[in-house]
Amino acid sequence: MADPIGIYLCHCGGNISGVVRVHELRERLKGLDGVALVRDYPFMCSDPGQELIRRDLRGGGVRRVLVAACSPALHERTFMKVLEGEGINPYLYEHVDIREGCSWVHPDSEEATSKAYELIRARLERLRKLRPFYPMEHKVVPRVLVIGGGLAGITAALDVLEAGFGVVLVERSRELGGWAARLGRGFLAPLEGFIRQKGEALMGHPRLSLYLESEVASLEGFPGDFRATIRTPRGEEVEEVGSVILAVGFRPFDARKKPEYGYGRFEGVITTVELEEMLREGRVPEAQRVAFVHCVGSRDHQVGNPYCSRVCCTVVAKQALELKRQRPEARIYALYMDVRTFGKGYEELYEEAQRAGVIYIRGNPGEVYPGAGGLRLRYEDTLLGRARELEVDLVVLAVGMEPPEGNEALARILRVPLDGDGFFLEAHPKLAPLETPVEGVYLAGCCQGPKDIPDTVSQAHGAALRATQFFHRGRVVKDPLVAEVDPEICTGCRICEAVCEFGALHFDPRRRVMTVEEFSCKGCGACAVACPSGAMSLRRYESQGFLPWMEALVVGGP
Amino acid sequence: MTVPRVLVIGGGIAGMVASLGVAEAGFQVYLVERRPWIGGRMAQLDKTFPTLDCASCIITPRMVAVGSHPLVHLLTLSEVVKVDGEAGAFRVTVKRRPRYVDESKCTACGRCADACRLKGRIPNEFDMGLGSRGAIYLAFPQAVPMKYAVDPERCLQVSRGRCGKDGPRCVEVCPNDAIDFGQREEVLELEVGAIVVATGYDPFPAQAKPEYGYGRLEGVITILELERMLSASGPTEGEITVGGREPEGVVFIHCVGSRDHQVGNPYCSRVCCTVVAKQALLLKERFPGARVVVCYMDVRTFGKGYEAFYERVQRAGVIYRRGLPAEVFRRDGKLVVRGEDTLLGRPYEEEADLVVLATGIRPSEGTAELASVLGLELDDYGFLQEADPHDPLVSPRPGVFLAGCCQGPKDIPDTVAQASGAASRALALIRGGSGG
Repeated sequence: MADPIGIYLCHCGGNISGVVRVHELRERLKGLDGVALVRDYPFMCSDPGQELIRRDLRGGGVRRVLVAACSPALHERTFMKVLEGEGINPYLYEHVDIREGCSWVHPDSEEATSKAYELIRARLERLRKLRPFYPMEHKVVPRVLVIGGGLAGITAALDVLEAGFGVVLVERSRELGGWAARLGRGFLAPLEGFIRQKGEALMGHPRLSLYLESEVASLEGFPGDFRATIRTPRGEEVEEVGSVILAVGFRPFDARKKPEYGYGRFEGVITTVELEEMLREGRVPEAQRVAFVHCVGSRDHQVGNPYCSRVCCTVVAKQALELKRQRPEARIYALYMDVRTFGKGYEELYEEAQRAGVIYIRGNPGEVYPGAGGLRLRYEDTLLGRARELEVDLVVLAVGMEPPEGNEALARILRVPLDGDGFFLEAHPKLAPLETPVEGVYLAGCCQGPKDIPDTVSQAHGAALRATQFFHRGRVVKDPLVAEVDPEICTGCRICEAVCEFGALHFDPRRRVMTVEEFSCKGCGACAVACPSGAMSLRRYESQGFLPWMEALVVGGP
Repeated sequence: MTVPRVLVIGGGIAGMVASLGVAEAGFQVYLVERRPWIGGRMAQLDKTFPTLDCASCIITPRMVAVGSHPLVHLLTLSEVVKVDGEAGAFRVTVKRRPRYVDESKCTACGRCADACRLKGRIPNEFDMGLGSRGAIYLAFPQAVPMKYAVDPERCLQVSRGRCGKDGPRCVEVCPNDAIDFGQREEVLELEVGAIVVATGYDPFPAQAKPEYGYGRLEGVITILELERMLSASGPTEGEITVGGREPEGVVFIHCVGSRDHQVGNPYCSRVCCTVVAKQALLLKERFPGARVVVCYMDVRTFGKGYEAFYERVQRAGVIYRRGLPAEVFRRDGKLVVRGEDTLLGRPYEEEADLVVLATGIRPSEGTAELASVLGLELDDYGFLQEADPHDPLVSPRPGVFLAGCCQGPKDIPDTVAQASGAASRALALIRGGSGG
């Protein structure tokens, strides 16, 4: 006899039930083939919602479950765990989205209710035929590959080492420290000691393999057991690691891309990066009149960088204040759109700069050009509503942050997507800012988006946790929903091998059939589509369940 | 000998992330929460910026995960009162107040709350006082643990020793005999190797800016109240009305209790600009005909994707006016917001039915007391002071780490990153490394 099915309908606190007539839906679904019961609840994902399912499973009246609720991306796992907890194979489960794909997009109650019904009814066709699957396990190499030796990379590497694991640190340049070491001064305190301390703790650590002037050429394998090929000055080396932290930082915006500011053309136009280096070396500019220009390469659609770079406003406040202290007689201006000094202690720094006499003018200049008495800035003072000009000896451009060179290549190697601005994309903007969509690859620092030093350090500590969190188990557990080959049918034509993006399919020359490296397979299904003989299939999407499901959708039913 | 356990203080999103971080790495956690349930401020939010994801949808699974993780020992209604020892071996005294409900028996059927003599008479703090509850209650439907609790200050049986003529009805109706007025305060002694502090924030009290009329003028509310009103499971079930009518004019006021020397908070609260952008968009979408105006000093939408979101909000027709208002008053049945438009260089008056105050972030009540128990210092505004401004999660006391808004205002992604980082440092320490 077929397993009895339980259907659970979620109201999502009105998100669904405000459009879909849940009670009507419940009544229509009762009595469909194999359906033992249908229940509904305001929040299925809540504790008591889950408890409803548990109770039915415990009683034995339900052996397969369908939940109709939000997108499976949100709660499929939640409910699979409920099955697992009650000793039922979690793959005997279907999650039907009736929110994102139904109540949120169909304002008409009639249409939405009937669509929800059709979606559920069709999915039952597959649910009846699903097979149980069991998670796959593999050993873990307790080492982390950290790409980038700036402050983010160093901080993350040190946490990993101190937690007792190994680190392979790959840095493109000749030395560690990145921009933080090069610039050397934080907003509120010097950085040298902070970085030196970390550098000293790191260097010579017995569990550290350090590759300077090196780059990652390829990454193969899967979380827990990656093989990284590293291009070093001495040739290629291969390292085994369990996870990866990306900490490749940023590159300052190239001010030449704003030709109207004359950078590279007029003497006396410099960037905040150059001024930082001068101040650090004690070379205080002689200029008596200085204008800082905010948002150079940030919040600027014209140059393709619509985002805010988060740090530049406070960099300007810090530098302007220091110039004013060194040259109290100098006139210092800061031309801005909004002053975004939001970090701890930064607003105070901005106020201090103003108290010290730095003049803030609201309005970014349209152009900088040489005049008889110095460099002239033409701008609109948006507070006065008037076009004005300013004559100075030195113009300092507050350049924003851009993704570092080579980001695209690295993204391809690691198969991690970039966001619209070219930074690495996190898995979820709120609750998973350190994870990437690729399991086993994590993010730290500015390669995920501009940020200041405290936020970078914070994130780097966090990335170290994520990258090592599964090490203690000594093994990784992988979702078994991967490709499967039927060796009875496979002719070894190797068409699938060519379409696999992940190098997960290998030809077995002895048996003359394909084999699946299950831990590398991402379950995309491309091979199943390409296979001319039907030997390849993706688990859960095998034709015996998938086709009736699709047929029910296309043909319709009672 | 290092004790391989971690204490996390505070059960908001920071404390939850830190706890799961430690537990998923295979170590035990005590999570101490002062309220009867976890979830903190994030659980009160309707949608989150910039994706407009539903906050409950993303936090509920985490709450359930914390509540059900075998390595997380959740201690609600509890407070840390004493900490001895040092990094690697702290001895922590926790005072646990009675719930008056036996957690092992309560099935959250809700009959007790229905029967309570004070049902509907007590403002529900979770709904910022906009909804009501009884003396025995569940603050919100997705609460974890899903167990009712008695408010000892309001409950007649607890505070007066007597409830009606015939005794407490809740006890009578409970089918599982879960209600137990004999419960007493407990004192627990815990041994842990590291401590993560994640005690969060309280909103700035808007009454402290009397010129905006909060508490005096109907229709003047705060952003957190608006969150509860927007929420489909909130006190108004998502309905936004003032005096029974939909608003035709809405004015948001930035920086209420932030960047303001007058109230002693010169710092920026980091999140309010983007909260306002989100809420202004939601209202504009809800009431396309309404005039939605945002009064600001600087718009600080600095996080990833926030600037693009701010642009989207402006494109949707929300009007941004530069210049914080001087006052809000009532004239001919309408609220009037008066200020100086610093771009036009002249005074303005905006008429509105609804005025929303973007109240800033301040340390949660009790932060100072906890700091003295832990031997930590406060900064000028009462947030916990980090040891080095470059590393916000390391406190001056070895073995004690900071996560989330207790260290300073921050948004959810920055909180999650810092909380993961605090867990990382705590783990490095208890694993016997040199961390701390």
